[in-house]
This record gives sequence, C-alpha cells and structure tokens, in this order.
Amino acid sequence: MQRELERQGLATVGLSLLRKLTERVKPPRTYYLRYPFGHALGEAGNRDQQRQIVRDALSLLETVTVPGTIVESPYRWRRTRFGPEAFSSGA
Amino acid sequence: MTLFRIPGIRELWAKSYQGVTCEDIPWTPLNKPLAQCRIGLVTTGGLHLRSDPPFEMGDPDGDPSFRTVPCDAEASELVITHHYYDHRDADRDLNLIWPRDVLKSLESAGSIGPLVLQSVSFMGHINGPHLNTLIQESARSAAQEIRKQQADVVLLVPA
Repeated sequence: MQRELERQGLATVGLSLLRKLTERVKPPRTYYLRYPFGHALGEAGNRDQQRQIVRDALSLLETVTVPGTIVESPYRWRRTRFGPEAFSSGA
Repeated sequence: MTLFRIPGIRELWAKSYQGVTCEDIPWTPLNKPLAQCRIGLVTTGGLHLRSDPPFEMGDPDGDPSFRTVPCDAEASELVITHHYYDHRDADRDLNLIWPRDVLKSLESAGSIGPLVLQSVSFMGHINGPHLNTLIQESARSAAQEIRKQQADVVLLVPA
C-alpha cells in the first residue's frame, strides 16, 4: 500500500512492528518499534507517548533521504516515560 | 497470539512468512513543510464503520478489500473486525491503530496541515491469492481514494 501511494506521487511514512517483513517489502520510509501487535502508537490513553511516536514518524518525511530507510525507535515498551515536554523533532 | 507479544518471536515468524519480497523502492520526496501538508491516514487494524460490512474473517487468507473511515466519526460509530491481533487496548483507544485524535492535536498545534476527511482501513492479515488482489487492485483503488482527498503525505499504521 505504502509503495503504491509513493508511486502515485504521495510521500509516505509507515510504522512497523516487524522489521524482517519491512526489510523484504521495502517501503520508502519506516519507523520501527519493538512494541506488541496492536500497539504501534504505544499504550492506550497515553497521549504523550502517541504524540511523540507520530511526531517521530512524520519527522522522517523531512529527514530521510535514502529510499528504504528503517529508523528504529529508542523507546522500550512500558519502560520509557513520556511527558508533554519530552518530544523533539528527531527520532 | 500471546507469544506474538514478544518481538523476537514475531521476527522469527516474519522471517519464515511467505509474503512479498520487493527490489525497487518507489520514492516521492516531501516538497513542502509538514505544517503545510494535508495528512492522509491508512490503518491495517481492521477498523470500519459499524454500518459498513465487516472484514471477512471466515477466509484464512484474509480479506484484501478496504473501507473508508470518516476522520470525524465518533468512536461509538466504529468497530474493529480483525481476529489476528489482540485489539482490546485498541478498542478502548482507537488511536493505537488509527491516530485520528493525535493527528488532530498536532494539526491544532500547527505542526502539520489538516487531516483528510476520509481515512483508509485494511485488515492486515492477507495471504495467498489475496496478496495479488491487494497489490494489483485494492492498493491502487485505495491510493486513488487518498489522492482524491488531496493528501500530500500519508501516515500508515499497522496493527
């Protein structure tokens, strides 16, 4: 899907929970998280965390220049603490 | 399903998964600041309007069709039909697979442009002959739908 969008002229970024699969399908830009299925945005109700992850992912649209880049999130499931001031522009 | 909560186990499964392998990588550069970009949203979490037909769960190869999901829908109007991941948390907070509220808050903060009116939703468990239908038909139609929404960039969220 992501590849088709990019082919049709839309810049895309995808979250991924499966690095091996992403390496095979080769989407243009990927933000990979070692989080459980169904939790690409993190924990339910944790809006700071969710916002951070979306910001990180969208920032790849501005920073990635090599097609097929997979950036791994530094966050640890249920260990990393997120606050409203925690976000930065980079991943 | 419980085992799949462990990233290492999932990666082992992904290694043996007979899916699609691609060589070329299509590429469209970002041509304006994110704050001016209209944002499209695609989920593979099996989300759809309760009034729309559910994804087909009887077929072990999955359902390659997609649904459009209005970005202004109430959570009570939406439901997840997807038996291949634990969506109890996503049922409580749809943002885990469909970050509508998150994108809206970034839009309000001026970090991104407006969210499109209609997002696109697939169920992500698609195998066998349906992979071809997904790539040759559904993905193209869905991409046309997203272009119709005049999105500049698209965020894709898996389940």
